This record gives sequence, structure tokens and C-alpha cells, in this order.
Amino acid sequence: MSGRVDMGVRIGDLQLRNPVMTASGTFGSGKEYAQFVDLSRLGAVVTKGVSVEPWAGNEGPRIVETPSGMLNSIGLQNPGVEHFCENDLAWLADRDVPVVVNVVGHSVEEYVAVAERLDGEAAVSALEVNISCPNVDAGGMVFGTSCPAAAEVVRAVRKATSKTLIVKLSPNVTDIAEIARAVEAEGADAISLVNTLLGMAIDTRTLQPVLARGFGGLSGPAIRPVAVRMVWQAARAVDVPVIGMGGITDAHDAAEFMLAGATAVAVGTANFMDPTSTMGVVVGLERYCEAHGVERVAGLVGTAWPEKEM
Amino acid sequence: MCNERGAAIEPVAVVSNERVADDVGRVVFDAPRTASSIEPGQFVHLRIARGADFILRRPFSVHRAYGGRLEILYQVVGRGTKVLAEAAPGEVMDVIGPLGTGWSVPDGATRALVVAGGLGAAPMGMLVEELAAREVDVIFALGAPSAGRLIARQLFESLCRRTLVATDDGSAGTCGFVTVLTPEVLERERPDVVYVCGPEPMQRIVAAQCAEAGVACQVSLERLMACGVGACLSCVVATSGGLKRACVDGPVFDAATVVWERSGDAEVAR
Repeated sequence: MSGRVDMGVRIGDLQLRNPVMTASGTFGSGKEYAQFVDLSRLGAVVTKGVSVEPWAGNEGPRIVETPSGMLNSIGLQNPGVEHFCENDLAWLADRDVPVVVNVVGHSVEEYVAVAERLDGEAAVSALEVNISCPNVDAGGMVFGTSCPAAAEVVRAVRKATSKTLIVKLSPNVTDIAEIARAVEAEGADAISLVNTLLGMAIDTRTLQPVLARGFGGLSGPAIRPVAVRMVWQAARAVDVPVIGMGGITDAHDAAEFMLAGATAVAVGTANFMDPTSTMGVVVGLERYCEAHGVERVAGLVGTAWPEKEM
Repeated sequence: MCNERGAAIEPVAVVSNERVADDVGRVVFDAPRTASSIEPGQFVHLRIARGADFILRRPFSVHRAYGGRLEILYQVVGRGTKVLAEAAPGEVMDVIGPLGTGWSVPDGATRALVVAGGLGAAPMGMLVEELAAREVDVIFALGAPSAGRLIARQLFESLCRRTLVATDDGSAGTCGFVTVLTPEVLERERPDVVYVCGPEPMQRIVAAQCAEAGVACQVSLERLMACGVGACLSCVVATSGGLKRACVDGPVFDAATVVWERSGDAEVAR
């Protein structure tokens, strides 16, 4: 790498060495991928969702491949925040990479409990409040599809944490700008989107839904145009930074999100096919900037907006 | 049989690819790193094609590994295996491997029963070779829908003391599922360990027969899988010790720990 491009970006109080993060739920807590990826070359590791008590997740089958994408209904299976701190976080603490912990809950109180527990953990750089998981009955997307409910969660978590507060939004809404403004008003330092789109696949041989739960969350390149559109809308609606994701597989996809207004990006489903795909995006994004005479990667942000030029 | 070298991404070239039974193909890959480090019952996660049309890899157990090559048996059941069936020699794909926890041979085991239904014969090649190398006396019970779909029968016959056959339509061996063969073998041969792979209901039945006979039983379970490295929690198996990941904790499990009711009969990966 030439190092001629300033790849640093800022999310709240958090300075990232580059804009490339991992999408929650696709990268474990980083440990499983450390055999393929030098984690210290990532902008940040975003962990799988962590709840106050252990969650068992949903029955299987939990995934299915679909055209240019996949459906999942994992259901936020995780061993709970104590286990997370003792194992995953303890391991991540030595990795020289900012750690963003994805926080889930069935109720406002549960989100707050996780945020409070993590507030004293020096290894945690930021929280990503997940109000957008489509695969749980209580909590998750229930909070992310209503402005008052989203505002209530963010208000409560804001009081419970001094960490950089990111709020992850659902695309399963009519007006993303309205939700983005609602969480910004309650003190979110950044917004990340999109979580998965609610979808379904039915097996024409068995005549039954493929996923045990019926519905699942659609991810992968299939959703990228929807995600780019929503990042554009959200970024134009708020002043806080936006973290864009949805079907990113290479540096051009990542650049597309930044041109739409994202300050940082996250790679998700692509990790499954190519465990090193984040590294390809980091290297490729720098080359993209060089090729376009951009000295700071942050200079890409929102460049496609009608009033801006690169 | 844990692996100290760990998994890696290795480009693999197709050496040969041919049909070996009705609906079943055998592809041989040139894959020196993986072939030299894989243990019986482990699997590889195969990238069959590039591009946005294929989002997920496909997990395959390895039938045999020798001379820097991997032999994989596959059934054409979906888009991925259809493309695999059309792969020509020289074509390059890549694998992540070796992955997972494979078969284990208990200390002091001298007699084993291996039970395979349909493509469940796939992970049994390396196992039978390992058992033969350890001079374990092996009875093989091989089942298939029909004679034309019996897989790797010659290999098993060459390495096992006896190879019993059952077909659903009676076109070879005993008429019926392979599970009609196992109770008598368990009773008469008193194996020290039983290895099972095939449709999940079959595995469940053999596991129950083993539990009744008081014989240790290992099963190789199949699940739809995304990452293959333990991160995504797509492939969980319910066990008495909680939810386990088929990709890391398995695919081979001690049958006595598997909670069959909750696991259901998951549709196999396509």
C-alpha cells in the first residue's frame, strides 16, 4: 500500500484507521476470522448481537441461499453479556482494533442493562444498538419501525452509556429519514443501516417455508440498491455520520455507499464466501481514491449528492 | 483427531469429474495443502463459482485424500451441485479447509460397525482407510434406494471384513432400509464403536439401536451452513450440552448427546 491516501474517518468520538467495518452477525466476535484476516487492518470489528441473558435463537433451518443473496433467521443466539465480556471481549481487547458491540434486547430495560454492563469495559469503543433484527418476536425490529419506540430506546441507552452510540436501523420502514431524525434527536452519535430486509422462501417440493421460522432477513448483493437508496436518504436527513451496509462485496460497492453519504461501511454476507473480503475492500478503497485523485477517503462522503462534487 | 495446521483458503483444480452412480458424481481436486492435513470426517467449504449468483459456499465431506488430491462425492440436488457436475478438468475453484471435528477411534477399539445410507457413504472412505490402517475389524452396512445408487461399494468391500447391502427396492442385497441390517450386527458382532452417516431419520434410528445395545455411536450430521468457521450460527445442532455448531463442534457428534427431536430433519444443503 502506498499510504498516500488518508484513510481515517471519524464516528462520534471514535477515530477509525479506515472506513471498513464488519457487519454484526457475520463475523462472530472476530476470533473465527482471525485465521484469515489481520484484524488490526480493519476500521472496526462489530460483534454479533449481545443480550443481557443468553438467547437460544431460532429453530433450524436458519438460512437459505436466494438469488444474489441469502435469508437468515438465526434469532440473535448469543451466550449473554457476562460470557461475552469474559471470553469474546477479553480476546478482542488484545487485537489492536476498535470494538463495536452490537446490543440487543427484548425490552428497553434489557438494552439498558447491556449498555450499563459494557460502559466500564475499556475494550469497548462503541455500542451499536440493534433496533432492527427481523428475527425475534419481542424487541429488535419492533423498536426500529416506530419513531416513538426507537426514540425511547435510544434515549434510555444514551443515559446508560458514555460510549460512542451507534443506532442500527431497519429498512423495513416507510420513511427512513423520519426514523433517522428521531434517533439523532435522542443523542445517537451515528446511524448504521441497513439491517436485513424481511423476506421469505418456500420450498416447492415440500410445499413448506424453507426457514423454520417462515420469515427471515434478506442480505447480500440482492439488497444493495435498496440499501444505497436508504443510506442516501438517511445521510441527507441527519448531521451525524452514517455507516452504510447491504451487499458490499468489493471496494466499488463500498465507494458507492460513501458516495451516497456513508462515512464508513460494513461488509457482511460477503465474509461467508470470501473470509478475506474486508481486506479486499480496504486495499481497493485506497486504490479507488488514488485513481480518482482523492487525498482523504472522507472526501468521498456524499459526493454523489447533487450539490456536491468530488 | 484434531488438526494442528488449521484451515486455510486453497485454490483447487479439477483433476477429474465423473458419474459414479445414478445421480452421484465424484470430483477429484488437486489440493496439496488440504489433502495432506485433512482428517477422516472433516469437511471442506467449496466455492463452486464466482459472481453474485452464488452467495454461499457448499460444505462437502471428503471421501478420500491421497497424493495431494481430494476426492469428493456429491449428489446433484440443487444449483450448486449442478454447476459442480459440469466442471471440467483444469477448472479452478477454492476450498476453505480442513474444517470441523471428524470421526474419532476410541482407545482400544478392535471392532467397528460403519453404517451409511445413500450419500452418507461419502465421509466413510477416509474413515475405513483409517480403521484398516489401525487393524480394526470392520463390518460395513451400506444402504441405498436401489442398486444403481450404491456408492463406493468396492472400496468398502476391499477394506472391511464384511460389507452388507440393503436397498429400498431390493435390487441389491436385503430389501429395506439399512436399519434392518444393524440390529443383528450389533447383537452378533458386539462392535466397540459404530459410525453413522446418511438421512437424519436413519441416523436417529441407528443411534437408538446403539443406545439400546450399549454401544458407542458417532454420527455425522448435515446442516445448511453459511460461514463454515463457527461465526454465523446457521448450522446449530441441539445437544445435551446446549446448541453446538456443526461446522466446528461437528459435523461428527457423539450420538448419545444429540437431541434429535429439536434438531428435526433438516433439509440437506443443496
